[in-house]
Amino acid sequence: MSTTKTPQVNEVNEFLEIASDFEDPLEVIRESLSNSYDAGATEVEITIRDRPIGSEIVIEDDGEGMDHADLESFFDLGNSTKRGRQNGSIGYKGHGTKIFYKSEEVLVNTTKNGTNLRAQMDQPWEKLNNRTMPEYVLNEEAVKEGNSGTHIRITGFKSGHGFSPASLTYNKIEHYLKWKTLAGSTGHFFTDDFPEMEITVTLGDEIDDTRDQLVMNNKLEFPTEQRNPGEGQFSESRMCKHYPPRELTVETENGTKTTVEVVGMVGGKDARNELPTYGKHSAQFGVWLAKDHIKVERVNDTISHDNEFLHFFFIANCQDLELSANREKIRNKSSPVYQAIVEELSHYLSKIASDPWFKDYLSHRRKAKLTRRAESQQSSIEKREQRIQDRNRFTPSNDAEVVLGLERSNRFGAEPEITVEDYDPSAEVNALVRQDTNLYASSIHRRLTDHFKADKPLESVDKIVCWSYGDRDELSELERSGYHSGEVTIDLENDRLIYNNGRRHNIHIVTVQDRL
Amino acid sequence: MESRSEQFKNDIFEISAEAGDARSGVLRIGDTELSTPNLLPVVNFYAGGTDASLYGGGIHRTIKEFMNGDEVVNGGDYSRYFDGVMTSVASLTDYGISRERYEDYISEPIRERDVFDFDGTLFLDSGGFKFLGDSRLDGSDFEVEVDQEAIVEIQRKLGGDVLVNLDRPIAPDDDYPTRVEKARLTAQNVDEFLNLTSRDDTRYLTLHGYNYSMLDTFLSEVEKVIGRDRVHREFDGVALGSLVPLKDNKEKLITAVSDCREVLADWGFEELPLHVLGISSSAIPLLAAVGADTFDSSSYIHSAINGKYDTSLYNSEPVDDVDFSKCDCQVCSDDVLVKRMEGDAEYQKDKLGAVAMHNLIIQKEEIQRMQSAIQSPGDGELISYIEQSLGREKSMQQHAHRVVNESLGGYF
Repeated sequence: MSTTKTPQVNEVNEFLEIASDFEDPLEVIRESLSNSYDAGATEVEITIRDRPIGSEIVIEDDGEGMDHADLESFFDLGNSTKRGRQNGSIGYKGHGTKIFYKSEEVLVNTTKNGTNLRAQMDQPWEKLNNRTMPEYVLNEEAVKEGNSGTHIRITGFKSGHGFSPASLTYNKIEHYLKWKTLAGSTGHFFTDDFPEMEITVTLGDEIDDTRDQLVMNNKLEFPTEQRNPGEGQFSESRMCKHYPPRELTVETENGTKTTVEVVGMVGGKDARNELPTYGKHSAQFGVWLAKDHIKVERVNDTISHDNEFLHFFFIANCQDLELSANREKIRNKSSPVYQAIVEELSHYLSKIASDPWFKDYLSHRRKAKLTRRAESQQSSIEKREQRIQDRNRFTPSNDAEVVLGLERSNRFGAEPEITVEDYDPSAEVNALVRQDTNLYASSIHRRLTDHFKADKPLESVDKIVCWSYGDRDELSELERSGYHSGEVTIDLENDRLIYNNGRRHNIHIVTVQDRL
Repeated sequence: MESRSEQFKNDIFEISAEAGDARSGVLRIGDTELSTPNLLPVVNFYAGGTDASLYGGGIHRTIKEFMNGDEVVNGGDYSRYFDGVMTSVASLTDYGISRERYEDYISEPIRERDVFDFDGTLFLDSGGFKFLGDSRLDGSDFEVEVDQEAIVEIQRKLGGDVLVNLDRPIAPDDDYPTRVEKARLTAQNVDEFLNLTSRDDTRYLTLHGYNYSMLDTFLSEVEKVIGRDRVHREFDGVALGSLVPLKDNKEKLITAVSDCREVLADWGFEELPLHVLGISSSAIPLLAAVGADTFDSSSYIHSAINGKYDTSLYNSEPVDDVDFSKCDCQVCSDDVLVKRMEGDAEYQKDKLGAVAMHNLIIQKEEIQRMQSAIQSPGDGELISYIEQSLGREKSMQQHAHRVVNESLGGYF
């Protein structure tokens, strides 16, 4: 006997799972903006307050509003009335609005075609966590034809750790919106009838009282072009070139075609600083893959140019990219279309990296670096000059200068004349010096103690040339404990070191300091 | 200031279209006409034997049979692929030619011989790379003292349309004094070459160098020996040599040719045709884009000898794996020749000769596409040609970008 069974879904758990993916109250705004955009809104007002009873996020738009079916899909899971690819709208999975369930109350007030709908859902998050499906109360009322729009109020949003509304600032919201939401859309570069939206954000004074509100549009704009270097030391830092919108046709091996819309800029640090920055610079620049003209993930390995991705800011939009439920990641990375997109982008960016302007920019950058190096050299020279002026007499600061000191002592008539004939700093016995007519295997150090610290042998050394003895206690310790399994005796009076490891070695100590 | 017409009395090159640094035109030499850019296949007119065997052995004979449209290669007309041909005096040394046969061979100009049905432009290289490559002269095979005088005599007797002085090619590891010395020795040959020929001849000056400074030094040495006036008045074209050792380094080839064009412009030779000696295949579009006008190469034969069947300027397949029905060239459309390429041939020359002819057609047709791209209005066609051909080959992408940026106006 055979039976047919349909796998069951635990609806409560699904709601919990999906809503759990969202932590940041700003994601509420992101989802709301997308909805408002899809509803054809030209103005969206967002208000966030932090009240003693909990946070309150209000989003109000002048879009076409929702009817019964729209409102159902707003609360339903995976039952979107939008069909993203067909009509250019952003959402279509019916997942985004589930973020609203992570709150204490959801209130939706919307008007469409002469009907106002008011839906109120109490304690959705608590109920889900108690394994109960939350319900909403719906009231319907006739209103004057021609009115439309939606007002959503989310009370007591359950933020993740560190994401509370109280931590928001205008500055943070502005950058977030431009980076992560359709407020930073690149769609306007590719169409003449781009729907513009004005976005107003008001934060309660208890959150940020530095200004009254924030007003922005839904277009990503690049810093103004400046193709030539500026004045001053880092003349390249405000250089900036726009690379106009291009539609690249991508064909996969199996013949599927898609279009990648790419636009971007290359520029120095000052130009990049004029862009909104959400998070670290290094985590923002490079090449972004986008869907619905909203940036999703970076593919910086499409830039072969020595990985200097920081100078690049490109957004490559393709509607054949599929996103994870929370829109943070691309889901179809293993598909041939993704591979083909990445390959085509590499090809396109290789052209940018070979643009003579970019090479010129890099050469200005190199010059700036060299100038900086020259400056640091200059300052180092100045310090060294100062040190010379401050000291009363020549003092070597390294082994090679001991050689110079020795030569100087000869010039000043010190006896006996000792000249360095061969100096190899990397050799165990680093010098051959001549005294009278004989050559002596020698070790040259700033201090006599350095010879022992460097663990150099004594058997094959005839002379140790040093500026000074160094720490005499260290020498005494050597006499006490021996060196390389031999005995050491230091005869300072006669400038002599005696080393006995079964055979007796007499080593002449030349202290250059005493010869000058 | 003299007028241009006085400067170039023997003006043979008419440029009709330019795209960036690339140019397309016509070389008119005697009663022959050659459109540029163009590739001159190297044909070995003497490969042993007598006139009864087309002075040919092996694959070289088959090529000449294609040139002639002989029945042994099924009688097709392939003459358009031999509109210009390069041959070298040095080919005589490849075969143990006796004095008697040598005399017989050079007794009649090639284009007037009954055995060859050839009316294209004949470029006759001096063979300097072969005779002098190892710094010694050797004509011992045919008991002729090879010097500039002997070379001009052979070039004349064979009826070359374009004559080139005997040169001393440089090598990539030559030091500065060696290169200067080679330039000086070449200059002495140039001096003699000019004395032995006249303004009625079409004369190309050989240049050797891998960058602007080397080429400038070379020209300066020539000028020192023959004088400023003669450098500027006596030549109809320039042949850039010594590039064969760099053939696998596209970066250096591009630099050599684009720098050569720059030097020529600075010396007032900008409108002389520039021939690049011994370079072919994937380098051609790049070098034509930076301003080379003609090329010569024997790679179509060498590929065939190595069993390679070209599918484009950049790719080839082992001949035994080829599905000939995918190519609609004249050779692959000929059932008899296809059978031979499939292995149904008495001799290797019958199989590989047909492959060589196919390879040549592939190269010539690609050149044809370049000509059309340059002749199309604006630089766009040529850029898109370079993009679609080289730009899609990973290993060539950077070079393609470079020539588009440096010579064709750039992408942005």
